[in-house]
Amino acid sequence: MEHEDPRNGESTHRSSKKPKISSKFISESEIRVEFSHHHPRVARINNGSFGSCPGLVLEAQRQWQLQFLRQPDAFYFNTLRNGIMASRKIIKDLINADHIDEVSLVDNATTAAAIVLQQIGRCFAEGKFQKNDTVLMLHCAFQAVKKSIQAYVTRAGGFVIEVRLPFPVNSEEEIISEFKRSIAKGKSNGRKIRLAIIDHITSMPSVVIPVKELVRICREEGIEQVFVDAAHAIGSVRVDVKEVGADFYVSNLHKWFFCPPSVAFLYCKKSNISSDVHHPVVSHEYGNGLPTESAWIGTRDYSSQLVVPAVLEFVNRFEGGIDGIMKRNHDQVVKMGKMLAESWGTNLGSPLEMCAAMIMVGLPSRLSLNSEEDAVRLRSHLRGCYDVEVPIFYQVSKHLKEGVRDKDGFITGYVRISHQVYNTLEDYEKLRDAINRLVEDGKTCKMLQIE
Amino acid sequence: MSMASSLQTHTHIHTNSNIAAMNATTSAADPKSQLPNLPTLHALPPPPTTPPLFINPSDILSEFSHHDPSIARINNGSFGCCPSSVLSAQHHLQLQWLQQPDHFYFNQLHSRFLHSRNIIKDMINADHVDEVSIVDNATTAVAIVLQNIAWGFAEGRFRPGDAAVMLHYAYGAVKKSVQAYVTRAGGYVIEVPLPFPVDSVDEIVNEFRGALERGKQNGRRVRLAVIDHVTSMPSVVIPVKELVRICREEGVDHVFVDAAHGIGCVNVDMKQIGADFYTSNLHKWFFCPPSVAFLYCRRSAESSDLHHPVVSHEYGHGLPVESAWIGTRDYSAQLVVPNALEFVNTFEGGIDGIKKRNHEAVVEMGEMLVKAWGTHLGCPPEMCSSMVMVGLPACLQISSDQDALKLRTYLREKFCVEVPIYYRAPKDGDIGPVTGYARVSHQVYNKVDDYYKFRDAINQLVHSAFTCASLPN
Repeated sequence: MEHEDPRNGESTHRSSKKPKISSKFISESEIRVEFSHHHPRVARINNGSFGSCPGLVLEAQRQWQLQFLRQPDAFYFNTLRNGIMASRKIIKDLINADHIDEVSLVDNATTAAAIVLQQIGRCFAEGKFQKNDTVLMLHCAFQAVKKSIQAYVTRAGGFVIEVRLPFPVNSEEEIISEFKRSIAKGKSNGRKIRLAIIDHITSMPSVVIPVKELVRICREEGIEQVFVDAAHAIGSVRVDVKEVGADFYVSNLHKWFFCPPSVAFLYCKKSNISSDVHHPVVSHEYGNGLPTESAWIGTRDYSSQLVVPAVLEFVNRFEGGIDGIMKRNHDQVVKMGKMLAESWGTNLGSPLEMCAAMIMVGLPSRLSLNSEEDAVRLRSHLRGCYDVEVPIFYQVSKHLKEGVRDKDGFITGYVRISHQVYNTLEDYEKLRDAINRLVEDGKTCKMLQIE
Repeated sequence: MSMASSLQTHTHIHTNSNIAAMNATTSAADPKSQLPNLPTLHALPPPPTTPPLFINPSDILSEFSHHDPSIARINNGSFGCCPSSVLSAQHHLQLQWLQQPDHFYFNQLHSRFLHSRNIIKDMINADHVDEVSIVDNATTAVAIVLQNIAWGFAEGRFRPGDAAVMLHYAYGAVKKSVQAYVTRAGGYVIEVPLPFPVDSVDEIVNEFRGALERGKQNGRRVRLAVIDHVTSMPSVVIPVKELVRICREEGVDHVFVDAAHGIGCVNVDMKQIGADFYTSNLHKWFFCPPSVAFLYCRRSAESSDLHHPVVSHEYGHGLPVESAWIGTRDYSAQLVVPNALEFVNTFEGGIDGIKKRNHEAVVEMGEMLVKAWGTHLGCPPEMCSSMVMVGLPACLQISSDQDALKLRTYLREKFCVEVPIYYRAPKDGDIGPVTGYARVSHQVYNKVDDYYKFRDAINQLVHSAFTCASLPN
């Protein structure tokens, strides 16, 4: 059963629970049943944005919720902590962390970013960092993270450098050299780079970043803290936090790991810094370590953090467990991406080895997608008139001479298609046909009706 | 009104004309008890064409049938409660999200949030819906306000040593938040000692004045006063309006009222109370599911600089908008405020009627218990809300916080009674003092039998010469 495929990782840090006794793997029709709450008509090819959760896990969540409602005090005193600990233990094993103290559960990557950046803000306020000490991030970092940097770094006097990565991208080398260039620029003028924030998988446009290499470069260059924003990682690429070597690593569990909205883990490598990160919503457990602080931030519904064991059971019903799911998602999304690019006469946004379960596919230039508004318009039109849910990326074309062309002009828009276990060929054919239809009808984005 | 007759009120069937009259006029006792308009979102059912009967006891039983029936659940104050009809509405919203999250995010979330906020705005007599943000709980609201104070220190608007004043009985989480955001940033924290048991509001007012004077010593400015509307442990209703007035007189920069137990427990009128910031949970006494609270921020220069600490896309667009999107999460508890209001309005007098009857019932039960045990209440009835502190027999020998917690666990496990216990250290000169108080709550699902069960449990312990020393660690 075990393959030599390095993406499978070592069995010691894979699932800690044995798969179900039944030797039968989950069938196609069982998968359909598990996701029968999804809108039947919608081609849901955007797992990347909000994720998905099977019926079995939702039911487990409901049981936790009912338990709390039934007798909340007993739940609080006798049940909650152990439940969260059980989830954390599974995550620790999955991500190859050394110690469970390094693993905290929070709502989402956005919260984790606030935790790490608030700590940076305090360093400025308390004089540990000087004015204009620098934070480095990718230009295509998630918008929420950029705002968080504004709120906690810029406001506190820090300087921010954005690394402009090329897109479409042709190789990891392009990313690595651009990254190195930006660090050099950052360190000129004698500035100290205090923190680098690196996406493991960028959101828009979506590309798998060679994080291990970039973290290594950061260490070589004396960058104090490295925070990997891996919102999309777990369940779509292999996650080994020791290998990656960052100080902080966050991934959402509700995107690609079948948890209900919402839950993420934040890994904090044990160090002086890790003892001074705090959850911004301060409650009784303040000062008892981030994992404990995060496990109680006032009365709320913690049920999404308690179902990780149920998710593991679900995932182990698939051949190869989560590794099998990842591999098949990748193979399928690549296949679908190629199918679309071929049908539309366009391109893919990155080489195949730089995607996981999402891929960027160029849109026909004849759609004349020339602004963010056009992208929003097209997305709404696809949702409203074609029942296709897919996010659209507008590529600002700076260097027209170097831009990618199809037979009619420059490609300025890309769809980000996802593949998760519930997707079928029809979903992508629906998108393919919708776009072809628009092009045949001579529609441009500006002409589209919005529902 | 006794519990027996209040039960009768629940079942009293009004004629059509009575109901219409009630809808049209305001109650003499409280001008704010006017029933608000039913929501008009397209997704909700149209209003009924015939006036509904008020909810009756068996309906109430069924609405809370998910509660553990073997437990005397007299601790609504800690975690609140939520009726099945509101849980259903929440479940429906959760399913809508799961069905097509992008559609929900782009087309539903924003308008539903606004609807919840507008309902709250009307209930609390705020001027403008921009003043109303929805957050997870009071703990979050506190972090928002205190983070703003921390920036004041970090950015030099406040001087190191400027003071923040809070009550000694401030909630534990709030004290930690003050430590994390104020003390750490260089602020000086003053705690107002409050007597307990307490005999009158004057005692509280005097202590508060004294603390403010201490705050202003050595040329310090008092930048923030954090005042509980209803303290948690021990639970007492604080004369907030008076204390806010004193703060204004004494030049306190910002006044923040922590009313975790606010809506459904006390009168919540922003303009009357006059604070700069006011927060109340809606899952404690307003029948929302866990968890949801509002944070009111009176419009001013400062209020535009409040931010949710979990920064997302909407940063800079005002706290209400920031709080309505803090990353992918389940916002359903925050969107069912209209459904909670509908539920509340199935009771005579709406939330004010519920509040009044809860208060009367809990006082009646408190007095029944102190009579049975030969103890006393922790404060006069007019300083209680829907909770009352009931002295426990001294012979139980509750002699520490740990004893209080152990006794609470024992009551839960051996007697199926859920009630939090407060340890009150004896003071010099106390003779044979009561050192333990139970914080007894009353909510619409409670029965007289819940309190008899508690009475009998304690009596049994007393008769068997039980002491806390006998409890294992």
